[in-house]
Amino acid sequence: MIWVETLINGALLGGLYALLGIGLALVFGVMRVVNIAHGEFMVLSAFCAVLLSNLFPQVSPLLMLIPVIALSFAVGWLYQAVIVNRVVTSPDPLSPLLLTFGVSVVLRNVMVEIFGADVRSLQVGELSRASLEIAGLNIGIMPLLTLVLAALLFMALQLVLRRTEFGRIVRATADRRDIVRLSGVKPDRVYNYVMGLSLALGAIGGVLLAVRSSFTPFSGAERLLIAFEVVVLGGLGSFWGALLGGIALGMAQLIGLKIDPNAGLLYAHLLFFIMLLIRPSGLVSSRV
Amino acid sequence: MACAIVLIAVIAGAPFVLNEGFLRLATECLLLLTMAQMWNLLAGYAGLVSLGHQVFIAFGAYALFLTSGWLEVTPIWVLPVAPLVAGAVAAIIAFPLFRLRDAYFSIAMWVFAEIIGAFTMKSQEVGGTSGMPLATSKLIDFDWFEPTMFWLAGGLTLVTIAALYKMMTSSFGLGLMSVRDNDLAAMSVGVDVRHNRFIAFVLSAAGCGLAGALSFMGNLFIAPLAAFDVNWSVYMMFIVIIGGIGTLEGPILGVIIFFGLRELMTGPLGLSGGWYLVGLGIIAVVVMIVAPRGIWPALRDRLGVRLLDVHRAAPRPATEIILPDASERVTG
Repeated sequence: MIWVETLINGALLGGLYALLGIGLALVFGVMRVVNIAHGEFMVLSAFCAVLLSNLFPQVSPLLMLIPVIALSFAVGWLYQAVIVNRVVTSPDPLSPLLLTFGVSVVLRNVMVEIFGADVRSLQVGELSRASLEIAGLNIGIMPLLTLVLAALLFMALQLVLRRTEFGRIVRATADRRDIVRLSGVKPDRVYNYVMGLSLALGAIGGVLLAVRSSFTPFSGAERLLIAFEVVVLGGLGSFWGALLGGIALGMAQLIGLKIDPNAGLLYAHLLFFIMLLIRPSGLVSSRV
Repeated sequence: MACAIVLIAVIAGAPFVLNEGFLRLATECLLLLTMAQMWNLLAGYAGLVSLGHQVFIAFGAYALFLTSGWLEVTPIWVLPVAPLVAGAVAAIIAFPLFRLRDAYFSIAMWVFAEIIGAFTMKSQEVGGTSGMPLATSKLIDFDWFEPTMFWLAGGLTLVTIAALYKMMTSSFGLGLMSVRDNDLAAMSVGVDVRHNRFIAFVLSAAGCGLAGALSFMGNLFIAPLAAFDVNWSVYMMFIVIIGGIGTLEGPILGVIIFFGLRELMTGPLGLSGGWYLVGLGIIAVVVMIVAPRGIWPALRDRLGVRLLDVHRAAPRPATEIILPDASERVTG
């Protein structure tokens, strides 16, 4: 029974992991750039939520998500407009990788210097401990809400990309950056919105992960690796694959922690590496 | 040639002139320069960016500490173990990793380093999280320890640069660079892409293993948090991209900027190591945007200087020879 509970909790954690991955997948799908600083931006949004909830202690920290998401969108827009757009068309595929890696080092160390290296977490009071009992299984409300939220966000994102004008422009830009200009689309401007959207999604994941477990300015690397593993396991560009990949990683991590309490992310990393050997194309192979 | 003799003389004589603190700094510079050259061999010439190169530094260093302890001999005599172990590990993991390209390769290397780091922290035989001292440090002659370390580091740096120069002017180097510039075109003229990348990967790992072993031998202590620190990759990468990726002179310039900035910011300006990394990161980002190939290539083109240049003049286009022929035939 305890194993069933572990598997269910792993699946719920996986919803959160999928949220971490989806922002990274979106940017990669549209502009072929792996944003190495994605993890640091998530940690930054968690710090913002902590600061805001210290300023307004009477407001629920979960409501802080709204200003943090808005702020992250603006930061992403600026980050793309000022920095990433300058290398996005570079003939050398390594340029965006090296550039975003440089940005991640700068962000991490600025956070260390400003906020200190202490361990932080975001307190949501009763909600984090509340749980449901279904057929003798204890299931936390917060993780359940997170999974539902992740699934809703995925559906919303899918709808936006499939059915709206904005979605059509984004997909067209992803396919042929040079041709969309003929229809009056400025690819750089589309990229700005996509990066904003990516960091806004990352902020949701970052803040919810900060509720679940503590973080330091150094947690960005860990978050990036999880996000990346979700994307690769899920198969590039597949949203539902990302959800599956997240769930697989979440289960691997919690089963690992049951066997060995101080394993950390080791078993999630191992699952990723083994899957890479067996199925380099991911669990689900399809396009956006 | 004369230049090489002068450099050898300088390295041989330096320990008699410099004080101990300066000598230690110079050793650190030279070791980091070797690592940066090795990272550059992979990123700048083979087009593979590794964010997990710290794993080879750690393998080299742990191999040295363990073998020296088992055999109970002075660590210097077991130094060759370090590059062998690091190179062997690279040869094995190349098989799964070479299926991945670009950023996937980079991050998979990082994940690999994390996995090995986590296992190292769990293994009590190698000291777990707290690490272990160099068991044979009592066999070391401490009167000559700092100079010996400096000579080893200096020798390694010179040999590395000379070997890379030789390699890049050979047909192997030409093949490697053609793979970096356009792997499809390289394949079509018969360059074995995988083979070239594999050799560069193994050599790069072996070099980092040796430099890492020397670096931790100088500390007489090794701990997983220091050995598997992702900052090793950060340093190598910043040195290479600031100085000039894909050139042999670039990392030399990069190391000068790296240590110059560090001594300036943490010394006279009294800033912490964190702000130093922020400063270095900003320089790297600005260089990437303004001069994507790094500072050295930009300077070289402006000043017209050639030091260790491995560029070759392109053969004269065949059309020049054929065209007059053809026109003659038409008129005739």
